[in-house]
Amino acid sequence: MSYQSPAIELVGLQKSYGPVRALRGVDLTVERGEVFGFLGPNGAGKTTTIRCMLDLIRPDGGTIRALGLDPQAQPVAVQARVGYLPGELNLEPNLRVRQMLRYLGALRGNRINWGHVAELSRQLQLDLDTPVKNLSKGNKQKVGIVQALMARPELLLLDEPTSGLDPLIQQAVYRLLREAQDGGATIFFSSHVISEVEVLASRVAIIRHGRIVETLEPRQLLQMTSRRLRLRFARPADASALGELAGVSQFAQPDPLEASLVVEGAMDRLIVALAGLPVADLQTEHPSLEELFLTYYRDDGKEVA
Amino acid sequence: MFAELRFELGRLKGRIIGWGIGLAVYALMMVLLYPNVVSMDFDAYLKAFPPEMMAFFPGIADINAPAGYLDTYYFNYMTLIAGILAVGVGAGLVVQQEEAGILDLILAHPISRTVLFWGRYLAMLLCLAMVLLIGQVAWMLPPESAELGLTWQEFLQPCLPLWAELALFGSLALLLSLLLPSRRAASGLAGALLVGNYLLVGLANLNSDIKRIAELTPLHYYQGGYAVLGIEWGWFAGLVGVALALAVAAWALFMRRDIRVGGEHEWRLLPQRRRPAQQP
Repeated sequence: MSYQSPAIELVGLQKSYGPVRALRGVDLTVERGEVFGFLGPNGAGKTTTIRCMLDLIRPDGGTIRALGLDPQAQPVAVQARVGYLPGELNLEPNLRVRQMLRYLGALRGNRINWGHVAELSRQLQLDLDTPVKNLSKGNKQKVGIVQALMARPELLLLDEPTSGLDPLIQQAVYRLLREAQDGGATIFFSSHVISEVEVLASRVAIIRHGRIVETLEPRQLLQMTSRRLRLRFARPADASALGELAGVSQFAQPDPLEASLVVEGAMDRLIVALAGLPVADLQTEHPSLEELFLTYYRDDGKEVA
Repeated sequence: MFAELRFELGRLKGRIIGWGIGLAVYALMMVLLYPNVVSMDFDAYLKAFPPEMMAFFPGIADINAPAGYLDTYYFNYMTLIAGILAVGVGAGLVVQQEEAGILDLILAHPISRTVLFWGRYLAMLLCLAMVLLIGQVAWMLPPESAELGLTWQEFLQPCLPLWAELALFGSLALLLSLLLPSRRAASGLAGALLVGNYLLVGLANLNSDIKRIAELTPLHYYQGGYAVLGIEWGWFAGLVGVALALAVAAWALFMRRDIRVGGEHEWRLLPQRRRPAQQP
């Protein structure tokens, strides 16, 4: 079996914008065929990392290999095999969607299957004859998804792919990305939404202040975080026993019909305990990225993960 | 390169048509006036002109001859008028789409920066040529143009030095757009240099000290309407050479450039000290 280099290999990647150090030595490997989530708050270095891989900006240090190639030495060879969705997508306002896609297709040597483009547009409910200047943010994002996928690239670099899309279209995008993965593509996408990473990714890297804090599987990510539960009871009940369970904290029952608590780790014991209570409604809040980072940095500012 | 050239020409289509029609309408008016101008007695009229005006419009002295007429009423100040177009197109050739955030997406496609740059530069040169040609065709169309007694080649000859000047100032604006923080700054400075050069060359006809400085500037080597009598090929080649040298310098800067996601660059002139690493 012949050796295939990783889809992405970053070693000690550094980049500064004047006095601001955006990347401080990013090390990352993404294997071929993987769906890899890149999670971090705004300004963590997600977009900078992706743009370095496409030679849009030049790193100050470190090495990059995309599909086994050096993007600085062979930018066109890399770009020919990569589909890219920018985080802030802007399109030529005076063109129609179809004209814009034709132009981008021409940059790829007109090797685009327009039947595939029509199918992608249909699935995303995108009208190709709309002038770009009349598109809403969500519809522009759909154009971005179509142009990234239309050449069936080997590697997809997607910067916040579902930003601005409604939940139904988000599901369609997830479906298209899974199809691309089934076709052999590697998908590297950035996000600051944990639930999105959980749905799509097989591995996740967390970046903060220009450094990779951790690389892990999405389920590990969720296990590390706490979830807030809000309970409503069908009739007055004493739920104070819930506060005694392992992993449960911040239990509060302001009145006999309501209770709230925070649970960390596995929820099986809590669910068993809830079975004995007249639960009318249960709401769980997904942990935010900020809460996740609190988990990472809670011990007097030192990294704990 | 063809895809980029075609795309850029498409983007410039509105300006080619608008500017072309504008110049054509003006040229038509001027050619229709020519029979009246030649029939007038200009000698007394010319004596009334102040020397400063004669210095800025040297063609006035022989306004009732084709070369002087074309120079005074069209080509003399067309460097300024069409210069606005050249400077605007040059300054926006690369940076307009960068500031709009579109270049980021385009350069993520398999097109080399060299191909993109020279494809667009070629489109700028073609745009300027097309605008001048549309204007010049209007000089030749009406029957009154026969009064000028020029062949179609002679009619077209002044377009070449004008095109070379526009290419030079367009290239200068392009270079400045890659050096300065924004397209606005580049077009403003290139436009100011163009106007300054025009004034300098006019004043040089009044003051020999200024003439030595003016000889170092591109508009000193502009023939205007007198190119109908023959083109100074050395001057033309020199202007085109400088335009290309400016373009090569701009290309070298573009090759090294970090493409912005959008917006203008920072206006900070002095480099800042690097911030110490933030504690997480």
